[in-house]
Amino acid sequence: MAEVILKHIVKAYAGGPRVIRDLSIDVKDREFVVLVGPSGCGKSTLLRMIAGLEDITSGDLLLDGQRINNLAPKDRDIAMVFQNYALYPHMTVYDNMAFGLKLRNMPKDEIRQRVTRAAQILEIEFLLDRKPKDMSGGQRQRVAIGRAIVREPKVFLFDEPLSNLDAKLRGQTRIELQKLHRDLQATMIYVTHDQVEAMTLGDRIVVLRNGEVMQYDTPLALYNQPANRFVAGFIGSPPMNFLPGRILMVGATLCFQSAGSTVQIGLNNSIHYAALIPYEDRTVVLGIRAEHLMDLVMNGQRPYYSPDTRTVLEAVEHMGSETLAYFTLEGQRFIARLSGDTVVDMNKSIPLFWDIDKAHFFDAETEQAIR
Amino acid sequence: MPQTLLKYLLLSLAALSFIYPFIWMVSASLSSESGLGSLVLLPQGFTWGNYATVFTKIPLGRAFLNSAFVAIVTTGLVLISGAMVGYALARLDFVGRSAIFYLIIFTMTLPFQITLIPNYITMVQLGWVDTYFALIVPFALSSLSVLLFRQAFQGLPQSLIDAARMDGAGELRIIFQILVPNILPTVLTITILTFMGLWNEALWPLIVIRNEPTMTMPQLVTLFSVGGRADAQLGVKIAAAVMLAIPIVVLYLFFQKHFIRSMATSGMKD
Repeated sequence: MAEVILKHIVKAYAGGPRVIRDLSIDVKDREFVVLVGPSGCGKSTLLRMIAGLEDITSGDLLLDGQRINNLAPKDRDIAMVFQNYALYPHMTVYDNMAFGLKLRNMPKDEIRQRVTRAAQILEIEFLLDRKPKDMSGGQRQRVAIGRAIVREPKVFLFDEPLSNLDAKLRGQTRIELQKLHRDLQATMIYVTHDQVEAMTLGDRIVVLRNGEVMQYDTPLALYNQPANRFVAGFIGSPPMNFLPGRILMVGATLCFQSAGSTVQIGLNNSIHYAALIPYEDRTVVLGIRAEHLMDLVMNGQRPYYSPDTRTVLEAVEHMGSETLAYFTLEGQRFIARLSGDTVVDMNKSIPLFWDIDKAHFFDAETEQAIR
Repeated sequence: MPQTLLKYLLLSLAALSFIYPFIWMVSASLSSESGLGSLVLLPQGFTWGNYATVFTKIPLGRAFLNSAFVAIVTTGLVLISGAMVGYALARLDFVGRSAIFYLIIFTMTLPFQITLIPNYITMVQLGWVDTYFALIVPFALSSLSVLLFRQAFQGLPQSLIDAARMDGAGELRIIFQILVPNILPTVLTITILTFMGLWNEALWPLIVIRNEPTMTMPQLVTLFSVGGRADAQLGVKIAAAVMLAIPIVVLYLFFQKHFIRSMATSGMKD
């Protein structure tokens, strides 16, 4: 069992602003939770507080029900993998992994057993006699993970462990981390600023901004039901498109009217329809994902969309499986995800169709989702 | 081509002007008293006699051991204290950290001569005159060592310290088992500068040590040379000076590269 609970955690530096403001989350046993947010949102500070490397200004940090606020890092039964690996440069891989165990006065045989086993899991047995400077970034990363594994801790903490790897290796290591989590059956808390990493690794994701939790939910829930405009814009690649406008009643139909067009909000958009009625005559922000803006090729498979926006594209990125089309609509930068075989004539305007049933609406002032 | 030749010529002349006094000193120490007058390269009337005389007149062996003991112990203490203070100033958060640091730097600007008398009085009050304590304790903490350690520790990533803390290391273990092995060039620089300074120090021992068995080598050689015990035999005085220089020369041969780096890092000669 290793359940981590944070209750009303506050972090403030002397004479400085609050970096973490009244934050409460729970991490269940064996759960993989990702803390994600832009730089400066407090995610690394939060991780360091859980590790014991930063003091907690107020609030409770519980590990399996026991308050560990004032416990030294070594007594917390938590291991951490650092962004720059933080391997001891003057020690061999074996000594790097064994160092923490030696300090715990573990018998030599058991240390050897544990290090060998971890090295087998990570396929780094051939590196045990090398020093960090003689290894590649990916190999160092494995050793850093190995150093955490041998401790057999209750909780693993990862502080942006993949950010120093190249794109290909990052992808591979992501898969391996998932596998490792399954194999070790351990609780893991992982910090990243990369929402793709967050989406692919996390059982649940905490989206942070300015030291506050914006939303804490599963990856798909964050993607499909963002709680506010920040989460909607942060999660998903390319990011969601936003268009400010008003809610109007035209006859018996609820409509969204922007500077340039009026869109009927069909009853199919059941999540929002009822909630939008009180917003009549008020300003809202419409959010729509790139894949819900379609060209004729994709539209052919769906019965109806409205409206169609004729637009001249500013840039096109052919990704092979899809085509990302960039354009400006009423002063807002928009991205549409079109079918991979779309051929675009950059000089002609093309019609784009909106899957308005998939649109999200946000309160213009509070930025909270309307639903 | 002529330009290169000219460069070599000038540099050789410069090198010769530095090395010649030393060569002369060595050959003079091996010359008979009558052969001493001329500026020469090789000993005139070769003899080991001057060295034999030195050893019969003064306890140079004992003084060598004293010097070695004092220099080694003090250098060790300078490294230990410097690493600990430097770590605190570089990595620990506490009120007045900068103030303490600048105070330590300020003491570097005070010439040793200014603190000579207060230091002497302190030694008298502590009853340390004529003991090794007087030679060791006043030099056991060096501001240069603190400064160099602080700079070196600041250059290491914080995550190294964090990782060691997660592994269960205490502050002392972090300093000496994790950080220090990663700044060995700095450690060597401090060692060389400190050891040389201590080895060559003659003034302070002259003030606090009066009984011969506790005297250091430079002190004994100085007293021997100017104190009249050499019976005005120049060759004997020079032989004593050569023996004083030998340990540093030997060290230099081993650590030549680091000597040069030490001078370059510290920007000062002693």
